[in-house]
Amino acid sequence: MKLSGLRFEPQSLTVHVGDRIQWLNDDLVPHTATAADQSFDSGDIAAGQSWTFVARKAGTFDYACRYHPMMTGRLIVH
Amino acid sequence: MKTALSAAQVLVFALCSAAALAAGATPNDAQIAAIVVTANQVDIDAGKLAAATTKSEPVKTFADLMVKDHTSVNQSASDLVTKLHVTPESNPTSESLKSGGDQNVASLKKLSGAAFDKAYVDHEVAYHQAVLDAVDKTLIPSAQNAELKALLVKVRPAFVAHLEHAKTLQASLAGKH
Repeated sequence: MKLSGLRFEPQSLTVHVGDRIQWLNDDLVPHTATAADQSFDSGDIAAGQSWTFVARKAGTFDYACRYHPMMTGRLIVH
Repeated sequence: MKTALSAAQVLVFALCSAAALAAGATPNDAQIAAIVVTANQVDIDAGKLAAATTKSEPVKTFADLMVKDHTSVNQSASDLVTKLHVTPESNPTSESLKSGGDQNVASLKKLSGAAFDKAYVDHEVAYHQAVLDAVDKTLIPSAQNAELKALLVKVRPAFVAHLEHAKTLQASLAGKH
């Protein structure tokens, strides 16, 4: 996953339980990947840094950047 | 009437900053570096004052974001100029931005409450619009070094988001009166 130009790329990602997903912040400002249902929250990912999350629970998770709420993404875990 | 005058003065400073940015002929990379660092610093200074002064939660959230984002951009900019061995070179545009920013902060310090919030947010709208215009019309076209140009292109979406955020805030503040 890349955070670039104030967008999550890809906007929607489908993975399997147990997969590791990495969010790389390629922007110049800090972002977060924060699930709407609070099931995951990266905390601040500084510019140039990344955050890795292992999907443990199946479901569809909408998430957004806490600071730039127009940045939204969806993680689908099978 | 006194606060209304001060708010108007704030807007004049914003427009002066805009004029300063537009007036720059063709800055070289060292001058662009100084303009970028100053433009960010000016917004960090205003954001810190606003975060400490405002009683409005949405205004504080915005001000904190400005401090956070522009500090981060300046870190990237200073890392890049160090890597490129470029020494930021002060120039009329960066100096005018600095004095415009200082005047804005001085003017804001005389205000409080809703008048402060309005003046700060109005200035942020005008300022981000001016900076975006400068990025598009002067800084990106003038940048010679590819990495410096890339940094300017990369920072643009954040400034667009800030402008939209400031406009939303401006509309919601206007709705309260």
